[in-house]
Amino acid sequence: MAKKKNSVLPGFRLTLGYTLLYLSLIVLIPLAGLFVKTSEISWEQFWHIVTAPRALASYRLSFGASFLAALVNVVFGIMVAWVLVRYQFFGKRIVDALVDMPFALPTAVAGITLTALYAPHGWFGLLLAPLGIKVAFTQLGVFIALTFIGLPFIVRTVQPVLEDLDPEIEEASASLGANRWQTFWRVILPMLRPALLTGFSLAFARALGEYGSVVFIAGNMPMKTEITPLLIVTKLEQFDYAGATALAVIMLVGSFAILLAVNLLQWRSSRHLARV
Amino acid sequence: MSVEVRNIAKKFGRFPALNGVSLKVESGELVALLGPSGSGKTTLLRIIAGLEFPDTGEGRVLFFGEDVTHIPASGRKAGFAFQHYALFRHLDVFENIAFGLRVLPRSKRPKEPEIRERVEKLLKLIQLDAHSKRFPSQLSGGQRQRVALARALAVEPKVLLLDEPFGALDTKVRKELRRWLRQLHEEIHVTTLFVTHDREEALEVAGRVAVLRDGRIEQIGTPEEIYDHPATPFVYDFLGNVNAFAGRVHDGAVEIGENKFAAPQPTGKDDSAAIAFVRPHDIRISREPGGHATLAARVVYCHAAGPMAHLELERVDNGDRFTVQLSKEQFRELDPNLGEQVYVELKNVKIFPEDYSI
Amino acid sequence: MGDTTTFFRSPRREPHRRSTAESPWVRRLLITGALLFLGIFLVMPLVLLFAEALSKGLGFYFHTFRDPLTLSAVKLTFITAGISVPLNCIFGVAAAWAITKFDFRGKNLLITLIDLPFSVSPVIAGLIYVLVFGAPGPFWTWLSEHNLKIIFAVPGIVLATTFVTFPFVARELIPLMQAQGRTDEEAARVLGASGWQTLWRVTLPNIKWGLLYGVILCNARAMGEFGAVSVVSGHIRGITNTIPLHIEILYNDYNTTGAFAVASLLAFLGLVTLVLKAWVERKKNAELRATEIRMTV
Repeated sequence: MAKKKNSVLPGFRLTLGYTLLYLSLIVLIPLAGLFVKTSEISWEQFWHIVTAPRALASYRLSFGASFLAALVNVVFGIMVAWVLVRYQFFGKRIVDALVDMPFALPTAVAGITLTALYAPHGWFGLLLAPLGIKVAFTQLGVFIALTFIGLPFIVRTVQPVLEDLDPEIEEASASLGANRWQTFWRVILPMLRPALLTGFSLAFARALGEYGSVVFIAGNMPMKTEITPLLIVTKLEQFDYAGATALAVIMLVGSFAILLAVNLLQWRSSRHLARV
Repeated sequence: MSVEVRNIAKKFGRFPALNGVSLKVESGELVALLGPSGSGKTTLLRIIAGLEFPDTGEGRVLFFGEDVTHIPASGRKAGFAFQHYALFRHLDVFENIAFGLRVLPRSKRPKEPEIRERVEKLLKLIQLDAHSKRFPSQLSGGQRQRVALARALAVEPKVLLLDEPFGALDTKVRKELRRWLRQLHEEIHVTTLFVTHDREEALEVAGRVAVLRDGRIEQIGTPEEIYDHPATPFVYDFLGNVNAFAGRVHDGAVEIGENKFAAPQPTGKDDSAAIAFVRPHDIRISREPGGHATLAARVVYCHAAGPMAHLELERVDNGDRFTVQLSKEQFRELDPNLGEQVYVELKNVKIFPEDYSI
Repeated sequence: MGDTTTFFRSPRREPHRRSTAESPWVRRLLITGALLFLGIFLVMPLVLLFAEALSKGLGFYFHTFRDPLTLSAVKLTFITAGISVPLNCIFGVAAAWAITKFDFRGKNLLITLIDLPFSVSPVIAGLIYVLVFGAPGPFWTWLSEHNLKIIFAVPGIVLATTFVTFPFVARELIPLMQAQGRTDEEAARVLGASGWQTLWRVTLPNIKWGLLYGVILCNARAMGEFGAVSVVSGHIRGITNTIPLHIEILYNDYNTTGAFAVASLLAFLGLVTLVLKAWVERKKNAELRATEIRMTV
């Protein structure tokens, strides 16, 4: 990684060296430490930890709720992005800025607010109670929180693509006899696919690792509403370093695998979408 | 399927793109809409297609007598080809062409084998049957335009509308596709309108040409008609190079400087100012004055590379410059020298009585 | 990272094409649906937050901020942000300089590695520092002997926050400086400027809005980080509690109104961040567009 081909500008060694040093100290070495620590326990021990019933229940919840939340955000994200790009309405600029709120709002703040909102005596909790729906301290609550934090991802990845969409493509579709829905489904949506995949994977990855927004509303009952990050924290608090480490490794490996899969899907689907 | 537009007006904001245009295209005709940018030709085409709508008023679009003015594009069965193709990048060539068939309402949609058959027939027609699985990003410009045309033809439209179909291609490809379009039209005979700013293209391909300027039709006619008998100086100038000589009408002839030239169209009152237009190839040069060669001029520039030779001459009496086009033989025969004084004869003079600016 | 979409964007105006527009009913339905979704998920929580914060009146609201524990949490948050944001800022400029002004193998790998903290759960971010500097780590005995605390002390919090906000500035600068190319800096060098002069007088002015943007995002995250800090802090009241941790404590102590009062502070910060980023983003896009125009001349 070192042969530079530009000798006019100075500072290559300095900046690259500093970059690598800082990167290693802050990111790479500590992350490596995780895997080093894991190697200190035997395979059986590792396997035993990561396949414990409590752990498995937490994976189901974390992965399941994250996946569903990202999916819901795909549907509504397209709708929001469409409305923001195509239509004019009063207060649009404010709405557009507001979409980024889950980014700008600290997770703990989101956590307690959502809990208060959906708790049995909260505004939404009261609305939903007569319907027999409980949100706070249930898996549904986890799902709601994860939907909240993933909301901006799809909108922001889809918006630029929608903005750059060639209007002539839609006109061509209309001139061939397609109605608006057919044009959307057969022409526009396929063009959004790479952006949707990116947004989905970002929302999914974020939701998987999310902690602050979820721990308040989840109720954190083992086997029922305990997400994997919380399980890791619990083990840490009990000084079960091996347990925490093993679970962390599983989480990391799982997220990377998913990200890789989505990247592959995205590469495949955008192969032919160069501007024509 | 005849196409008629009546009294179409269209403004974009404050810019009037079309100012009361009427035109009738008979069934099976191939008509060109020719004009410079901003003349409204593309707007007119898009209104016919149903991609734009005329400003409310008396503007009407009729397909075979039926008023379709307020029917949007998806209901008009007018095939449209865009200047930049607008192919569906995520679909291969086959699916692009099949698109129109696939979005037909269920009752009218043909079964899969029939779709396949029709698409394959079109692929053969555009000579791309070997490329049916390719994607638009893998095709050349000429190939993409052919796919765009096939796609428009797949739904058997009543009208075919082409917006500068060859504008984005190199000259050579453009000429090939021009020929190909003419042949296609001879085979299929669908009423076709195409927009172009290239006068050569319009004159070569179309059966009739409508020249537009500033949102109005200046003249409609066959290519010969409008070239030989332009109705206005604009049409004259747009269809070819032109020299303008200021003069006066007198006794059925035009006087340019001290010289009289026959005016084939008697126009204007006696002694009124006139502009005489002459094509560069309608000027004869001779060394000696005599006969009709009476206007004195000096040779200031010669350019003989290429199929024709071009000379620039300067009038002795008022210093105005004009260009003359000679065949290579005529040029060799004449063998002019720079600065030499010669005498020119103006043939085929067209006179427009007022002081038009082109 | 060449494919990075910055997450904050202002919409451009789209001309309406009548023949390819939806019917007005569909349009109204979609707008209502989108606004309803956003209203339920975004607006109501905000409204509730401020309602709860003020539910015991303004007196109680301001009283919460006079609590010494709250004040020490605020102080710690500012110290943490005050260290990690500049550190990541310097790193961002250095990394962007190395990546965009030079060619070398492994550039893409480097960019991916810089992005790594984004894909790591904050809890894991905290965990890894516990594993290095905490009880199970190799430095524990040495640290204990010298009476130095990293985990369960302020340095640990700073480290964890730095990790979590690591990529923000770099991510903003790399595409921007990539688009700007090297010609300005090369011209400066040819005119005799030293490396530092080039950086200070040529590069930084060119990227000032992108830099500011990255810093705003970085700071918002640094001040609001919860998961990673929660793991390394030890929750020692008055010493290792940042504002988010303090909110948690108040909440768990059933002082809901107090928790929301302090939370409203961060919510204000969030709203200010949104406003600032909208404003800076417009400048940043103009900066990028001006660069694109310059580069095609």
